[in-house]
Amino acid sequence: MKEYVLDGPLTEGFLKFLENFGTVRFLEQLRKPYFSFEKELFISIKGFVGESNVEVRYNKEIQDLVGDYFHLLLYYYDQGERGISALKGQEDSTRDKMKIRLRPLPENGP
Amino acid sequence: MEHGPQDAQSPLIYLNNAATTWPKPIEVLEEVAQCLRKPLYEPGRTTGNGSIDYPSAAREALAAFFHSGPPEHFVFTQNATDSLNLLIHGFAKKSGMPFHAITTDLEHNSVLRPLTSLEQDRTIRLTVVPFTDNTVNLAAIKEAICEETRLVVMTHGSNVLGSVQDIRPIAEYLHANGIFFIVDGAQTAGHIPLVFSDIPVGAFVFTGHKALFGIPGIGGFFISEPGAIAIIRQGGTGTDSRTFTHPFDMPMRFEAGTHNYPGIASLYAGIRFIMSTGQEAIEQKNMDLTRCFIRELRKIRGITIYNEHPDLPVVSFDIAGIDNHEAGFILARAYSVITRTGLHCAPLVHERIDGGKGCIRASFSYFNTHDECLAAAEAVGEVAESADSHIRSD
Repeated sequence: MKEYVLDGPLTEGFLKFLENFGTVRFLEQLRKPYFSFEKELFISIKGFVGESNVEVRYNKEIQDLVGDYFHLLLYYYDQGERGISALKGQEDSTRDKMKIRLRPLPENGP
Repeated sequence: MEHGPQDAQSPLIYLNNAATTWPKPIEVLEEVAQCLRKPLYEPGRTTGNGSIDYPSAAREALAAFFHSGPPEHFVFTQNATDSLNLLIHGFAKKSGMPFHAITTDLEHNSVLRPLTSLEQDRTIRLTVVPFTDNTVNLAAIKEAICEETRLVVMTHGSNVLGSVQDIRPIAEYLHANGIFFIVDGAQTAGHIPLVFSDIPVGAFVFTGHKALFGIPGIGGFFISEPGAIAIIRQGGTGTDSRTFTHPFDMPMRFEAGTHNYPGIASLYAGIRFIMSTGQEAIEQKNMDLTRCFIRELRKIRGITIYNEHPDLPVVSFDIAGIDNHEAGFILARAYSVITRTGLHCAPLVHERIDGGKGCIRASFSYFNTHDECLAAAEAVGEVAESADSHIRSD
């Protein structure tokens, strides 16, 4: 788990962007508008719209493969629509590496 | 940039006192400062200089507080986990042959993990007695005892359910049958009045940083039969320095190396605070707050309370439709209500009460207020009643 402080507050627009990549939950009527983002095997994010700090959790087994994913989300968000397809392409490549990493070892293997 | 959480914007409502009490009495903070202002003093380790001999003073305070035998039978450790490791592994080493041990499914990992490690080494055969109505009684323990049973390790108070076991009949029975009884009092020491001169426990484990109001890093145990536990730590004691074997005298038998003097000073001051304030008055307030919180939670739709009638100021609950880690995060960051979420290092209890998914725990202390209790319950209510919102584009 890592806590990040961004250089600006999170917006609903960013949540809308996140919806392209995983499940977003948004509880607006709380004292602070809470959101969470879940992307299976990649990361989960928790935070509040209007605040600049977020909590990010990674899958421990493949942290080296997904450790940059949060930074990629921020980077491609700035690129608008083009960023969505670019990031999806990157995800496919990460998934291929995950498949190799998470593949069960053959029974008689080393 | 990686960073810690922002400073809370509203005053904290701290409800994680079953983990570590906060705030500490001002007397504790002053005693720690006083301890550090002067050179540390303990006979054998330094010549006298007018400073307080905190280890001796704290042992005497502990003996008075727990109405026990000699103060020297109180041993200092880092915390309850450290004490339990020392006692459980020390008992196994002393036994020298495989034996049967009993514990319960109310236990914290500080009991379960050392015992499991011994079980994996085939040093012990372990029976885990299930709780009924949130407690484990003598009948359940008796049922698990067999010819080879040498050790029972059991919590005095559950850190999840807040239920207190009636240890006196269990201690009497085990003592009469030559079975060593280690009681984990991490949750009860300071909360529940105990008279060790009346309860024949083999050893009673406590920690300083919970209801005894000390700082983290100090704990210990009372031991009635030191000979039952092998010495597994050796080193400097400030005594018998010519010999290369560790002394058998109490309390050095189980203490090696320089003490945690500020921690011991905090424990000393914490006990004095309880004794001067009155343990009964403290517990009355703790339990009033606990009952108030439970009453308020009952009014909220979607709340499951796992312990409606706790003996300790601990309330474990679940909010329907929201993961307990998320709920804890929201309570902390949006409402400044600090709780503890998850398994509370007691996985077997959670298997029984919530299928192993964990819950939210709110635990009260003397320094919490009625208003805090109501505000925390209101915050839980807002989280419970929240519904997913539509996300708009910027």
